[in-house]
Amino acid sequence: MPGWHEATKELERQGKVRVAGIIEEQHPDRARLFMQWKRMGWPILVDSLNLIGVQAVPITLFIDEHGIIRRVNPPLKNAAAVTGEFLAERYEAPAAAAPAVAVDAANKLFLWGGEKKIGEAIDAYKARRQHASPDAAATFRLGVAYRRRYDSPQRQEGDFQAAIDHWQKALDLNPNQYIWRRRIQQYGPRLSKPYSFYDWVVTAREEIRARGEQPPPLVVEPGGAEFARPLKQFEAEGAAAEPDAAGRIHRDPGRFIRVETIAAPPSIAAGAATRFHAVFRPNQRIKAHWNNEAEGLVLWVNPPAGWSVNPRRVALENPREAVSLETRAIEFEALAPVEAAAGRITIPAYALYYVCEDVNGTCLFRRQDLRFTVSVQEKK
Amino acid sequence: MRTWGFTLVPLLWSAAVGAQTQLAPGQPFPALQLPAMEDGRPRSIVEFRGRKLILHIFASW
Repeated sequence: MPGWHEATKELERQGKVRVAGIIEEQHPDRARLFMQWKRMGWPILVDSLNLIGVQAVPITLFIDEHGIIRRVNPPLKNAAAVTGEFLAERYEAPAAAAPAVAVDAANKLFLWGGEKKIGEAIDAYKARRQHASPDAAATFRLGVAYRRRYDSPQRQEGDFQAAIDHWQKALDLNPNQYIWRRRIQQYGPRLSKPYSFYDWVVTAREEIRARGEQPPPLVVEPGGAEFARPLKQFEAEGAAAEPDAAGRIHRDPGRFIRVETIAAPPSIAAGAATRFHAVFRPNQRIKAHWNNEAEGLVLWVNPPAGWSVNPRRVALENPREAVSLETRAIEFEALAPVEAAAGRITIPAYALYYVCEDVNGTCLFRRQDLRFTVSVQEKK
Repeated sequence: MRTWGFTLVPLLWSAAVGAQTQLAPGQPFPALQLPAMEDGRPRSIVEFRGRKLILHIFASW
């Protein structure tokens, strides 16, 4: 887009052509940051649901004054010439206007219902799936709705995994849909990443601030898998000292810290990798909070025989405040052995943390045992 | 960071909300309302009729 913007911004400024965009990603606020960074001010429409159904991006269209598509992906290297030809051409008005596109109830709830209606949108997608044969697009959109709820105050435990699961089901029905594939890759392992998805965010903010501008806030701060760069070969982590090999630390069965685990993707072939996410939230019902005056949160993974993981030990740094309530996230990747048998595999792990109960309550060092699960597919 | 360019060959057949729509020369762009990035209000590419339009369909990743 920046190449096209450079090639056409003067024509746009002169009013000879209009420029607009449609974005195909889950989080439109990131596109807003990108647009400000690249100084592109044209209007953007948000198509998180992939309602226009494109299977890959980017696509550039020349659309005439009657709304008829005239060129698809004109060559950027000849941008001046092809744009000049397009602007010089006279196009006849079509006999009939483009028919309006019907949008079903679930999509309407998602598009126009706001955060408060996101649960209803999910229910509407689910009801539709119950009454119709598997619909790949509706399955993908149900995943988009789950992820939106996960990012909202209406979040329910399991929403993130449900999003990944439905994107995977949709992709199984239509493996040529690269927009859908990208949603999984966004959170998935480095072996299957085509590129880092949002590593530009840091540079964009720095450059925007250096210009004396303020970057827009992001609803969800990207990180982890979204910053990770592709890898061609899995790098298993070597030996590290296990922090509680004897299992002597007292357990937190989830009373102080609620942990959500996610596998992206949830199902892999033998010899392939997945990326696990663990999200830690202090239990607000007992006013639990992190104690930051001691060691930070640690995750230790014990892979089954033949499986490789990286990293095996993850340690987070504490924030500066003595106590805090924030959600913490840890990610690691696991590689299935080539000879792995089909079926559901559990990878045991545990987290160690300092946590306090209530405002003036006791602070404790606790271990929580975790189970990360992934399915290994039948060999084809 | 990857280059901002063409990462895939786009496939042009699209299933627009159940109806088959072809994003191909000679076809009208679907009259579909989507939220505007700035304020979330419904907007459609149809609004841009009357002037020639360059439309970029993309993602910031």
